Amino acid sequence: MPAVGRTYWLTEPCRIRREDDSLRIERPDNTPVRIPITDVRDLIAFDHVDINTSALSILSRNGVSLHVLDHYGNHAGHFAPTDAMSSGPVLRRQVELTADPDLRATIGRALILAAGENLRWSLDTDHLDPALATLRAKLPSCDERDAIMAQEGNYRRTGWAVLDTQLPPWLRLNGRTRRPPTNAGNAFISYLNTLVYARVLTAIRSTPLHPAIGFLHADTDRRRNTLALDLAEPFKPLFAERLLKRAASQKHLKPSDFETEVGRASLSKNGRKKVAVLMREELDTTVYHRTLKRKVSYEELIHLEALKIVRLCLEDKPYKPFRPWW
Amino acid sequence: MYVILVYDTAVERNPKVLKACRKYLHWTQRSHFQGELSTAQYRALMATLNATIDPEHDSIVAYTTRSPESVQSTTLGQNLGGPGDIL
Repeated sequence: MPAVGRTYWLTEPCRIRREDDSLRIERPDNTPVRIPITDVRDLIAFDHVDINTSALSILSRNGVSLHVLDHYGNHAGHFAPTDAMSSGPVLRRQVELTADPDLRATIGRALILAAGENLRWSLDTDHLDPALATLRAKLPSCDERDAIMAQEGNYRRTGWAVLDTQLPPWLRLNGRTRRPPTNAGNAFISYLNTLVYARVLTAIRSTPLHPAIGFLHADTDRRRNTLALDLAEPFKPLFAERLLKRAASQKHLKPSDFETEVGRASLSKNGRKKVAVLMREELDTTVYHRTLKRKVSYEELIHLEALKIVRLCLEDKPYKPFRPWW
Repeated sequence: MYVILVYDTAVERNPKVLKACRKYLHWTQRSHFQGELSTAQYRALMATLNATIDPEHDSIVAYTTRSPESVQSTTLGQNLGGPGDIL
């Protein structure tokens, strides 16, 4: 991953080509946009992309990953450059740690509790306090992964119901649905969750950690990068629920930003652009970090989270999931 | 660092300079580029350009500042540069 560089959001159908050892992006209506390859950290494609081998090879040579989202905002897959960050000792230790059931349960509980508290923080309402108290009381007695996930499910359901009370009727979730999301609110949450997942994956890729060896989601998702799912957990409320709430209260979203059919919904072309702008601005927001004694962006917070796992592996420093302190 | 680079080179060398710049910086106008670079990237770009031009005839000027916020700029007429990072 390049040290400097930006995330490029491709919200329209486009063609990615290589030109002069750099990138050229062709869009159907406009003149081609040339992007200096050294300025690209990763690419996120919301719409159809057409890419060829020579473009992929230059992405790979510069350590740029490409995330592809499908029509409903699911993470369809990503192109990752050949591993340049691999480190045997870290990986061996990661495997050892994730095989220990006690540690897995401890970290799983910590992640769920952090996600719960972050949801309470981002919704900023005391309607959620009783549910959070129940979660706090019940979690310590859960040792199995399924039991932990069940507690999380209960809490999340309450959380979404509370979120519904803060939204205009047309954006309400009315119960979380996925694959495909059934209404506008669900489509928005799906997109944002996928974007968080993609950001976490990029962050993990810049460390020697293996994204598929996780703690909490260890056995459920056989085909996905479970460590990325784990680390995305505490960040989801910070982006998905909070941005939905904010966009609704600022009347930033309109029904025309969504393509709603019976039983399924997705973002329209304009909506995708809006979501990309929202997420980009949010990732660029900075807060003062008390230990580092400098400002860090939300984007960097995700990277710091991955580094915490590296420290857990190398120095046995206990892992404390992210919580907003501001 | 934030770099603003302008070049005035002989016609036959223009394409080479253009290609070298495109790899590191965003095109803003004909013979005018800008963008954020690391120190190493800046040095690499300068070395490439230095090898490309004819020092007797051509001229390249690069302005560097710590961040784009420290540069106030005004555009009159057309904005020829790219659309930024949301395409």
